[in-house]
Amino acid sequence: MKISQEITVDHIARIEGKAGIEVDVSDEGVNAKLRVTEGPRFFETITKNKHWRDAVAIFPRICSFCSTPHKLTPIEAVEQALDVQPSEQTRLLRELLYLGNVIESHALHLYLLVIPDYLGYPDAFAVAEQQSSLVKDGIFLKDIGAEIQSSLGSRSIHPEAALVGGFGKLPGWNKMQAIRDMAEQGIATAERAVDFFTEYEYPSYVDSPRRHLSITCPDHYGVYGTEVMSSDDDSFHVEDYIYHLQEHVAPYSFAKRGSYKDEPFMVGALSRLVNNGDLLTGRARELMDQHSAFLTPDNPFANNFAQAVEMVSFLERIRDLIDEIGEPEQEQPAEPSRSSGEGVAVTEAPRGLLIYSIGIEDDRVVEADVITPTAMFLPMMEVDIGDMATGLWQNGCRDEQTIASKLEMVSRAYDPCISCSVHVTRL
Amino acid sequence: MTMKIGIHGLTSCYGCQLSLAVVRRILDVVGRFDIEYFYMLSSKGEISPVDVAFVEGSVSTEMDERELRQIRNNADIVIAVGSCAIHGGVQAILADEGISYQEAFRDVYGDSEMDYEGCVARPIDSVIEVDYRLPGCPPEEPEIMYYLATLAMGTWPEEKDYPVCAECRRAGNPCILIERGEPCLGPVTVAGCNARCISYDVPCIGCRGAVPHNTAWFDSLAKTFREKGMDRDSVQKRMAIFSARHPHMQEMLDDIYEEEQ
Repeated sequence: MKISQEITVDHIARIEGKAGIEVDVSDEGVNAKLRVTEGPRFFETITKNKHWRDAVAIFPRICSFCSTPHKLTPIEAVEQALDVQPSEQTRLLRELLYLGNVIESHALHLYLLVIPDYLGYPDAFAVAEQQSSLVKDGIFLKDIGAEIQSSLGSRSIHPEAALVGGFGKLPGWNKMQAIRDMAEQGIATAERAVDFFTEYEYPSYVDSPRRHLSITCPDHYGVYGTEVMSSDDDSFHVEDYIYHLQEHVAPYSFAKRGSYKDEPFMVGALSRLVNNGDLLTGRARELMDQHSAFLTPDNPFANNFAQAVEMVSFLERIRDLIDEIGEPEQEQPAEPSRSSGEGVAVTEAPRGLLIYSIGIEDDRVVEADVITPTAMFLPMMEVDIGDMATGLWQNGCRDEQTIASKLEMVSRAYDPCISCSVHVTRL
Repeated sequence: MTMKIGIHGLTSCYGCQLSLAVVRRILDVVGRFDIEYFYMLSSKGEISPVDVAFVEGSVSTEMDERELRQIRNNADIVIAVGSCAIHGGVQAILADEGISYQEAFRDVYGDSEMDYEGCVARPIDSVIEVDYRLPGCPPEEPEIMYYLATLAMGTWPEEKDYPVCAECRRAGNPCILIERGEPCLGPVTVAGCNARCISYDVPCIGCRGAVPHNTAWFDSLAKTFREKGMDRDSVQKRMAIFSARHPHMQEMLDDIYEEEQ
């Protein structure tokens, strides 16, 4: 009878970026590490002394899955720094563009990376051979998001046409109509995703209590705000983030690791739903009420369900936004009214809070700080990985392969974005 | 006969792999390929012998270097995909600005110790021999299809050697560099995107890298930028974002900006 077990996953498959898991579990306890081996890319260093226009072209390269948030968030920070006042139309179009990314990212995560776990396949190619309609649903949802980002941003990965002050050439009414039709059609598709994830019980053992951080939505369930709220009824203004969010270095991780009130915490779709779920409307509201038992704040697997509900909610919002915007009017981007200043912006990227703090002097970036959601939730993910290993061990599971695949599933539920996580600078 | 391919990622944003994963017309050709390795999408597979390996990302750690050698040893053809693999990517700006790895590391991680050793980002041809290059940040779908199709037919892809400008004129865009003084890098950037950004009225940032074989006209573009009122530092920094380097860039800019004084 073994008295302890080491489980090592060198490289977790089906996530964005390179990370491994190292767990040592015994009756005495567990030691779980998430090794982040993706190389550092020093984004804050390489954007220093650059013109802000060039810097906002560099930041999105942090990550392809969420390049649009890594475009729009620094744009907001630069606009605050230089007192740029974009038009109301620009604000609405930005929200539309941003939601396009969230739809694409959630669809890619759920259908290509997560669903193979639920069905016991190594990948979506194998799923497609057996259940092609399921993968087609995913591709269609991804296409809606990609179409929005291409139409407004020039392309779905690394969009260049979102600018400080406004946009480049805007799509015409026919294109907007086509997107609206796709979104309308996508709502039913996304509902099938909610159905899928409510057919399975969540794996047990991962239920440590946790705080959820998200933005405080000013009016509707969305991705833009200025206030950060915690599920323990606390909140802070994003400009004060430095006093509330701590970061630590661990020798086994090129990603820095966040804590709030000295404890691990969670961000992402589940956190948004926990904190702002009351604001859901329409079909998303109905689905949420119908499946409220699946919104378990302390089980990370609920994040998959939350992403599915969000796809419904955001597709409804996309439809309504297009109705509100109508035919976009070509405008000149708003100009900066000064050349120096500081700005802090926060948005809800697909994986959770994304914070950019940018200082500019004479049109040059002199200081930049980027805090990504994955860096924030890594320690919480480690807790859950440890809990899962402990739970399986205590129930007699000794098969390394079985334990390893469960641990990978835990990490996948968070939808980690490792490329994003390796860029945090401030100490 | 199907062709065995592997799709790999080193240090990067994973955008090239994502582009390969979501090619819309992939079904037209997918029957001709067996995907042996695609770890971003599949939990099966170890690095094993393949006909063609596609590699995204820069060499930024010792592990990247080891993995890359293993990929080369197992592949008949290696294709560098995207700006990071071909030029080192935006993270290679460090090299351009002469910032050492240790300096950057201290800037970010302070005095902390790390179990892994990193390095300043390098293109993959600094470690292994590369057979073909598929440019872009990320690569464009028609070009991905072209590369796959030529390989499937047993021939090879021909790299473009002319600038975005050529495609931009064909697309019928007004020249935003000449007419409005926008800092457009289209004249030195390798074609293949159909002047995507300029067609959205946004200046090219050179994400595809410079026209190959040292034939990019950096000097005439720098002269034009100077005439449009850009200072020397801005010109140099903008050209360097995606490693549009010229071995004599400094001297060239010295000459161009000296004339001014």
